[in-house]
Amino acid sequence: MVLKNRLELRLSNSIEELQSLNTELEQFGEIWNLSPELIFNLNLVLEEILSNIIFYGYDDTTDHTINLNIALEGDIIEIEIIDDAKPFNPLNRPDPDVNQSLDARKIGGLGIYLVKKIMDKTEYVNKDGKNILILQKNIKT
Amino acid sequence: MEIVTKKSNDVLVVAISGRLDTITAPEFEKNILALVTPENKKIVLDCADLSYISSSGLRVILMTLKKVKANNGNLIICSLQESIKEVFNICGFSSLLTITTDCTSALGKI
Repeated sequence: MVLKNRLELRLSNSIEELQSLNTELEQFGEIWNLSPELIFNLNLVLEEILSNIIFYGYDDTTDHTINLNIALEGDIIEIEIIDDAKPFNPLNRPDPDVNQSLDARKIGGLGIYLVKKIMDKTEYVNKDGKNILILQKNIKT
Repeated sequence: MEIVTKKSNDVLVVAISGRLDTITAPEFEKNILALVTPENKKIVLDCADLSYISSSGLRVILMTLKKVKANNGNLIICSLQESIKEVFNICGFSSLLTITTDCTSALGKI
């Protein structure tokens, strides 16, 4: 399928990449006429996924490339994140219990939960030694 | 990310501005946890100029809340922007702590 609007980025496995990603997202948000709320949510989702990959995905110290494709087709925004980190499906992480009392609440574990709640569809595949995460959101709902 | 503090009677008002994300959260953690002392039992976190938060920031807010409560104190968050409030709702933070629309009502409630 031909996609009219597509953003393709190659990121290195360095946490500083999140800063430039934010700038890129804001620029594309303007070009695609996306709402600030949507840009906020996409930024959040990408930060959660990418920081997980960058912090926990690699056992070596060499440089790796993470491919990030964002496509807007009709009302659907689709994000594809492809990395060569250790095989890991972040979607398998158990959801935190967000109704627990303060004493019982554990610190952390909210990142992937936010991704699942914000996006409408999440899918993980491991193919040819790569982790592929596909996330979709209907931007009109 | 920047924080500015001021004392309003016995309440410490901490105004945070900018982005609270993976990159800035460690600095915020260090600063805010140092401010939570037995002398500063009542803290208002003013988020009027906070433009973004991720789970790294939420983590620090939860740690701060736990430390404040351990001192038998109170933490109120005020002036959250809409997108951030939504993140708080998703994560159940809205039932863990008091959130007010502005700083004045936070100071009235604490």
